[in-house]
Amino acid sequence: MDKIKKLLAEQRVVEAQFNSRRHFIKDCTLGLGGLALGSFLNSCSSGSPTTPAYISDRSLNPMASLSAPFLPKVKSVIYLHMVGAPSQLELFDYKPELAKLHNKPCPPSLLDSKKFAFIQGVPNMLGPQANFKREGETGNWVSNHLPHFKKVIDEVAFLKAVHTDQFNHGPAQMLMQTGSPRNGRPSMGSWVTYGLGSENNNLPGFVVLTSGGTPDAGKSIWGSGFLPSVYQGVHCRSKGDPVLYLKDPKGVSRNLKKKVLESINDINLKEYKKFGDPEVLTRINQYEMAYRMQVSVPKVMDIDKEPDTIKDMYGVKPGKEAFANNCLLARKMVEQGVRFVQLYDWGWDSHGASPGEALDSGFLKKCKETDRPIAALILDLKQRGLLDETLIVWGGEFGRTPMWENRLGIQNSPGRDHQGDAFTMWMAGGGIKKGVVHGKTDEIGYSGIEGRVSVYDIQATILHLLGFNHEQFTYQFQGRPFRLTDVEGHVINEILA
Amino acid sequence: MIREKRVIVLLVLILVLIVLLVYSLKPEHQVDFASDVKPILNKHCISCHGGVKKNAGFSVLFESEAMAVTNSGKPAIIRGSARKSELIQRLHHTDPELRMPYQKTPLSEDEIKILTDWINQGAKWGTHWAYQSVDKTEIPKATSIFDKKNFLANPIDHFIAARMEEKNLLPNSPAQENIIARRLAFDITGLPPEPNLFKSFVNGKITYENYLDSLFSDRGYGEKWASWWLDLARYADSKGFETDRGRSIWKYRDWVIKSFNENIPYDQFTIEQLAGDLLPQPTVDQLIATAFHRNTMNNDEGGTDDEEFRVAAVIDRVNTSFDVWQSTTIGCVQCHSHPYDPIKHDEYYKVMAFFNNTMDEDLFDESPNLKDFSLDNQREIDNILNWIKSNGNDELFKIFKNFIQFQEPKYPAHDFSIVDIEKDLGTINALDISLRNGGEAVLRSFDTQGYENLYLMNDSKLGTKLYFRINNRKGDLLAKIYFQTDLKNESDDQIGDGFNYFDPRTKIIKVKIPKIHEPFDLFIKSINSNLVDAKKNINHYEKAARLNISNISWITTLPELPEKGTKKNKILSKKLFNLITKKAKNKTPIMVENPQHMKRKTYVFDRGNWLKKKEEVETGVPQILNPWEKDLKKNRLGFAKWLVNKKNPLTARTLVNRVWHQIFGKGLVSTIEDMGTMADTPSHPALLDWLSYEFMHSMNWSVKKLIKTLLMSATYRQSSIVSEGKLAVDANNLFYARGPRLRLTAEEIRDQALSISGLLSDKMFGPPVMPPQPEGIWEHAYLGNLWKTSEGEDRYRRGIYTYLKRTSPYPSMITFDAGSREVCLVGRSPTNTPLQALVTMNDPVYLEAAINFAKSYSNKEAKAAILEMYQKATLRKVDEEKLNNLMLLYQEAKLNFENDPEQLVDFFGMDQSTDVKTASLAIIANAIMNLDEFLTHG
Repeated sequence: MDKIKKLLAEQRVVEAQFNSRRHFIKDCTLGLGGLALGSFLNSCSSGSPTTPAYISDRSLNPMASLSAPFLPKVKSVIYLHMVGAPSQLELFDYKPELAKLHNKPCPPSLLDSKKFAFIQGVPNMLGPQANFKREGETGNWVSNHLPHFKKVIDEVAFLKAVHTDQFNHGPAQMLMQTGSPRNGRPSMGSWVTYGLGSENNNLPGFVVLTSGGTPDAGKSIWGSGFLPSVYQGVHCRSKGDPVLYLKDPKGVSRNLKKKVLESINDINLKEYKKFGDPEVLTRINQYEMAYRMQVSVPKVMDIDKEPDTIKDMYGVKPGKEAFANNCLLARKMVEQGVRFVQLYDWGWDSHGASPGEALDSGFLKKCKETDRPIAALILDLKQRGLLDETLIVWGGEFGRTPMWENRLGIQNSPGRDHQGDAFTMWMAGGGIKKGVVHGKTDEIGYSGIEGRVSVYDIQATILHLLGFNHEQFTYQFQGRPFRLTDVEGHVINEILA
Repeated sequence: MIREKRVIVLLVLILVLIVLLVYSLKPEHQVDFASDVKPILNKHCISCHGGVKKNAGFSVLFESEAMAVTNSGKPAIIRGSARKSELIQRLHHTDPELRMPYQKTPLSEDEIKILTDWINQGAKWGTHWAYQSVDKTEIPKATSIFDKKNFLANPIDHFIAARMEEKNLLPNSPAQENIIARRLAFDITGLPPEPNLFKSFVNGKITYENYLDSLFSDRGYGEKWASWWLDLARYADSKGFETDRGRSIWKYRDWVIKSFNENIPYDQFTIEQLAGDLLPQPTVDQLIATAFHRNTMNNDEGGTDDEEFRVAAVIDRVNTSFDVWQSTTIGCVQCHSHPYDPIKHDEYYKVMAFFNNTMDEDLFDESPNLKDFSLDNQREIDNILNWIKSNGNDELFKIFKNFIQFQEPKYPAHDFSIVDIEKDLGTINALDISLRNGGEAVLRSFDTQGYENLYLMNDSKLGTKLYFRINNRKGDLLAKIYFQTDLKNESDDQIGDGFNYFDPRTKIIKVKIPKIHEPFDLFIKSINSNLVDAKKNINHYEKAARLNISNISWITTLPELPEKGTKKNKILSKKLFNLITKKAKNKTPIMVENPQHMKRKTYVFDRGNWLKKKEEVETGVPQILNPWEKDLKKNRLGFAKWLVNKKNPLTARTLVNRVWHQIFGKGLVSTIEDMGTMADTPSHPALLDWLSYEFMHSMNWSVKKLIKTLLMSATYRQSSIVSEGKLAVDANNLFYARGPRLRLTAEEIRDQALSISGLLSDKMFGPPVMPPQPEGIWEHAYLGNLWKTSEGEDRYRRGIYTYLKRTSPYPSMITFDAGSREVCLVGRSPTNTPLQALVTMNDPVYLEAAINFAKSYSNKEAKAAILEMYQKATLRKVDEEKLNNLMLLYQEAKLNFENDPEQLVDFFGMDQSTDVKTASLAIIANAIMNLDEFLTHG
């Protein structure tokens, strides 16, 4: 009931603000000609020190920013998901013992009661297809496929014994991103924007950027599940409109569009006065935001205006769909207060069945495409003082076998099958203990033997850094409280600063 | 001063004493378990002492558990004595280690008192309201003031008035004719009313009821209400997982539309969808209806375990059945007893046993599929079937009819395993068993049913020999096939042309076998030493294709046709299998029950893990619900009949609540997905029960009658104007002192735009269509399926016919809260977002509609055109202010296009018109299509 009273009071304020703002816009427009409404609204509202109700009130703006229940370490998350599951054995998990077993038949004990996606019968072992070196002051291991990564190796905390119980791409990706291998649950980004809202009122709170294609699990991987659909990820595309239907129709100038919008909102306000339904006010508000987004989204998506040094640093490919571009975009977005930026880079499924997915070919290409931009992202955030308030997470949906895949009984180019028992992920940024290595695998990188962490532990830790207790952050649905981590999950304190 | 204070303190003390005295003398209030006690237990106790955790051996979920001896050696509740009950002692305890709830805020005095009184009164357990059967309910008498306001149009209004009175609320006056006419049209048909019908009603030529009946007889009714049901049924045109390939199941969608239009009673509607295949001599429609539960997702991803996803589908069917018919989230019970509701862990698996015996097994081809044959082929098939019927018997007829319709029963490839797998002489994939030279596969417990004809769907290389042996690799020879001739030339052993996803050369082969009545292990070995060497530099698949000499996709046995040994038998038999292998026009996945010899056993899964099976269970239903009647068959059909038994407390209540939600925007129980003990209390419990009882008994499960009852009420007909006063007292309109004002659904918004602009096609049914969508929406990393924009009227079909790919649904619909249909969606939650504004302002579909809309008015004077357009779109007269506003916008647009002719050309794009007036009017149309009054139903 209090909320309603508040709303009633607010509503008068909104109305007043709306009227005065409209007049102001009209005045401004008369004086200055065809400038964009978006910039006017920003400049016009900058005069008032407090956030207006239509932005701060959840009943009027479902993306209104909320403070976290506990002290957060970071404001934003950039999640780099390497779709297809990169091989830990060629990147971070150095296993000299495995080299000795190269091309020898796998001991039967390793195959007992194990299920594989493609391996059948008795495969051979596959030694590391990379050279490893200790890098940075911490002297952590990294392979020669990631020459740029060594520059930032001291910034990251490694998790070397992550495990998952899913070993098919779709379900494993769903589990990683939504806490359930089956569809229907909200994604991590949806939970976070539901809980915290967005700090930028002109951009979506949860942005998804893809390179190489859509993840196997499809778009539900950034869906909002049972949360209101306003919290689903907005896929910003590199081709066509960055956000669907963002562009004005051909032949409709910005100026004319502004008039259309004014007309719509004017009539809607009259409708509100007649029917008194607060939803109409929300609609007025959303139309204004849509108009502002039309300016702010293309602006944030435009990397051309970045200085050349920055473009070089990331190795961007202007006009193309590229992971490098997406890394730069991620930086620009968190800089502007986007809460959750989710990157998906497709093409890491290194089975070896064809050159594109072989460890000596396609895999190397993927390393090359991502190594430099990831290092740049960390350094760029750092030089802007943003690394402390941003969390970067890197990982796939599972790991890969130390065995050489023998799909259909044929050993082909070097490749590894799916495996969920041990893989490497890393985190960097605010609240993360730099340079720490948590978890250890056995001599061939097949299973975790120390510091095993689950997918739920990863999720619990991310929520923790954002200021949530994952066990208390729930949403009531179908008669029971749901949470991202279901009934599992422990915060990984070993990697926290 | 001090003295005054003392006096006041004294007075207060006396007052408190008096109050306490009065209170203690007052007879003790009789505590009700369901409404008073259960909510407290649920809120404070059950998360540690319930279905999931039973700390200290104490649980308050079931009566037996709550009264049982706990770890302390005695019960925590002693009936009749709160003082002796540890439950109460612990609430008061001073030691924080012992005080309950553990480490949480203590219960309030009131709450403790309720629990104390309850135990003192004998701790009587009760049943949650929703589990009590639906009884006949008295209609309350509303006071005359409601009568005077003409509010008592039907019994619903009496119930509503009674609650309004309690809150000192009075109803709104009825909405204006034009507004209610539009509201009704959308609620019944999902479209604006047909102009003449609208006129007749607004001019008073036909009554409210006549108007409403006309709308109900419109076929749009089925299309509108099917959208709602398809959300529940999780209907989609794709398989769901991973690559999310297409699925042809639209005949089910059409069946739902037809069923609504024909107003099939809800009990029959239920039975046909859950168990149409088990009805005696099911019709094609009844088989199609069972596709309801074939809307579960399939996983084609390489390397997935079919059994895992078969089980996942069965689990989804259990959960969905309870979501759809029982407002019960049984999903939790998969892992443990329900945390809040009295449903036991093993009861989940008893229900699962009903669903665990269908033939679908997450196969790539989604079999069993109901095949559509061409008319000619169907005629020939019918002739042969009739011959079988008249010369054989009913049983034989049934076997062949089923085999022709959906090719079951059979043993698919994944039932086999490869012998000596490490030799790499064979593999089993999603489609078939592939054997290399010397490769061997085994099928355990193969049951020929004593039939002497073995059939296999296979593709073998020339010169291959297949050996079939009994029970072991060196066992007795059952049969042998030698592929001597090219398969293209027919021989006696092979019948018909087959069709297979990868190789259209596949054939059905028939082999004679001896009569064997016991199941045995069937070993198949393939030999062919004439192999083409595998070349280098080809990928896995090519290499494998060269090595494989025999690919078998399934085997089965069938009885002999009548008149064995005659020429007629031989000819017809061959002809029949020829017809079976004809490529189907269309195939629809359906439910088919396993025959007795293929029945699966059902086990409790340890904590829901399908790999950890515990004790075996038989079919059964939760004890808390209506009892299982003995004459019901213990299968899906029995289960469906149990659901629609009038004693089932939840089926009618659920349906009534959700139909109410569709009409009023919220349920009488606001948690429309759940009526269990954690559900919200019904706002009008008596009304819910009255409607539910009437729905079953006097309306005979007629959904149309139910909807009509709601729409005939004065409650529905009220104006939706909300005064500040009402907003303050009842912001959420819980008491219905004003009419509903809902935003149109995703489909309705699109259909309306197409309808008013004259673009909407009235074509019904058929395969899904692909109206224009932005490029690059259907991208998938390694799948070439593309969105092929439909042509002609298929671009403008109603939204319900739009192709729904689960991982990538039609974008503008998703933006307006349509679901992706991966799982059952009980209700869409309407949102209000900037992305919606972008759709209706900028989506080319809406632009096209705007231009088309404008064209029909462009020969009119601008002001008149705007006036008429506004009225056409909103069914309201435009007021002076709004008209001026739009006129101003028109002038702006006109100026814009006149000053910049290039923009005019851009605006029309492919369209050759270059008329400033039409363009400017289209801008007006675009604005109108974004008005709140256009997007809501008033």
